[in-house]
Amino acid sequence: MSPSPTRAGVVALRVIRQLKRDRRTIGLIVFAPIVLMVLFGYALSGDMSGVALGLVDGGGHDALRDHIESVKDFNILHLGSESDAEKLIGEGRLDGAVVLLPDGVRVLLDASSLQIAGAIAAAVQAGAVAESAVKQTAAPQQGAESSAKSQIVTRYIFGYDLEMMDTVGPAILGLVVFFFTFINAAIAFIRERSQGTLEKFMVSPLSRVEMISGYVLGFSLFTVLQSATTLFVVTSGFGVPLHGSSLTALLVVLILGAGALVLGCFFSNFARSEFQVVQFIPLIITPQIVLCGIWWPLQSVPEIIRPFSYMLPLTYAAHALRAVMLKGAGIGDILYPDLLALGLFFLIFFALATMMLRRDVD
Amino acid sequence: MHPAISARGVVKSFGRQRVLDGLTVDIPSGVTYCLLGSNGSGKTTFIRTVVRLLHLDGGEMNVLDTPVSEVDGIYSKIGYMTQHKALYPDLTVEENMQFYAGLYGIGGQRREKKIGELLAMVDLSGHRSRLAGALSGGMYQRLSLACTLIHEPELLLLDEPTVGVDPRLRQTFWEYFGRLTEEGKTVLITTHLMDEAEKCQRMGYMRAGRMAAEGSPEEILRLAGLLPRLMLWLAQPDSDAALLRREGYEAEVSGGIVIVRLESHARIKEILALVSPLDMRLAEPRLEEAFLLLSEGA
Repeated sequence: MSPSPTRAGVVALRVIRQLKRDRRTIGLIVFAPIVLMVLFGYALSGDMSGVALGLVDGGGHDALRDHIESVKDFNILHLGSESDAEKLIGEGRLDGAVVLLPDGVRVLLDASSLQIAGAIAAAVQAGAVAESAVKQTAAPQQGAESSAKSQIVTRYIFGYDLEMMDTVGPAILGLVVFFFTFINAAIAFIRERSQGTLEKFMVSPLSRVEMISGYVLGFSLFTVLQSATTLFVVTSGFGVPLHGSSLTALLVVLILGAGALVLGCFFSNFARSEFQVVQFIPLIITPQIVLCGIWWPLQSVPEIIRPFSYMLPLTYAAHALRAVMLKGAGIGDILYPDLLALGLFFLIFFALATMMLRRDVD
Repeated sequence: MHPAISARGVVKSFGRQRVLDGLTVDIPSGVTYCLLGSNGSGKTTFIRTVVRLLHLDGGEMNVLDTPVSEVDGIYSKIGYMTQHKALYPDLTVEENMQFYAGLYGIGGQRREKKIGELLAMVDLSGHRSRLAGALSGGMYQRLSLACTLIHEPELLLLDEPTVGVDPRLRQTFWEYFGRLTEEGKTVLITTHLMDEAEKCQRMGYMRAGRMAAEGSPEEILRLAGLLPRLMLWLAQPDSDAALLRREGYEAEVSGGIVIVRLESHARIKEILALVSPLDMRLAEPRLEEAFLLLSEGA
């Protein structure tokens, strides 16, 4: 029997009807991401402590340099040239930079975070005052000359405000969808088994491929709902930019959600109850949270376990979502490797889940 | 007519335990067939091999003239009701039925007509929009049966369908099964309720993975050595009993009543030609006694 879209549709309609009636799950799907976001948002938007400041020391301003290095809130990164500093600010890795040259001081500031820019500018001013005081004591007759030398030029650069939420936000969108779809799917399949409906499907014209496809279709509707709310909170609530198309972001999330669903179906074979599904969280979800580059770059994951990071779907989803939201990437830009990897993950577990459904009954 | 299910030396083991141990049986088309046996005798396992949820370890089986290995191709002709009921508690009565109708490609007017008819049969017409999970045990059972019948299967496999159903409704079920067999459909039922078994046209008694006894209710009783008894109140019991014995009947006198064992009901007429009783009563043997005898004589 060839797979029929009608029968998959019948399953999808049923899944939607069931989920629609399950108010608690609906609430969880829609509101849990919001709560999570608010939590992460406030925890991660810590503005003032840890301002990343680049410092290019071309000589001639030792007192100013010492003053800046003594500011507690600054994390100083020593750089070789002004263009390096400019680039890093543009990428959002630095909040600003101070370039000290014998003939002047140049301050590069990130225009998108004026509060931090103000703090940096104030520190440089204070340092300059301290420096001229030192110089006047050492050689009073050269006073006028030296103040001309330490003229401060300020330049604004458009990077984006590197609140941690910006990099984490898009990835969390993926995490939330992955987490809820995985858990809900695993529980749904456990129920199919304990209710005896799975056994009944096996003795009906409905094939396993149609059944799982129906689930993917039905769940996708809720994935869209969930991503839309999460996306809304991330962008309007926390000001994370959305430079690319929200449809592209949704596409990434849908493929990720489909992968989470078949993974949930596959793992439901190893659980006997809903309770045991919950026990999968530390095993399936936690490694993804830790290793997929949500909180810190993949480059900081030890090389020995980095290949494992590249086996996790959330790694690709987080990367693709960041590219779409922060850099305005289109489908073409994220096709390889992100969408390809997500698609492959889905197909592999679709096949495994289909095979396992049969083995269970036999 | 070909049998609906024909099994020859069927074997199915779980580990070392042979749950079906060379089972051979023909289940004719167009009858209600009762599969009896104590718990663990292999009834459910047999049904699961028929629908290929379990693969045979040995023997041969044909289902609706199809080798059991190809039974997946004729699933739309089979209705299977498991002991688990297989319903979605979070869908309404009607939605459950619509879902199963959809799986078999039944839609539109035909679907609505069939749902109405079946809900009336299982006496749930007034509960269409109730959640299945809110139904009582018996109602849940009835809905499960209705869902199994939605696609008008040729072969119905019902695993303990009447557990928790009240006697009046059970009667309705049996009448419905009767109508189905008149249309040429086959109904295979497992049960351990003897009074239900008596309503079947044929039955099989399973013991230790084999058919211990198989046939119509009369044949089963005869196999167990149980015959109907005719009790006669006669004016001269002793001499009449002697007369009947001379004619080859098994007759005895007990408390002034002559008791004759009947090989068939047709013999009553012949007996009445020999003697003229003042009163008489027919005592049918009960299947329950037969199965007790059969299971003891293992």
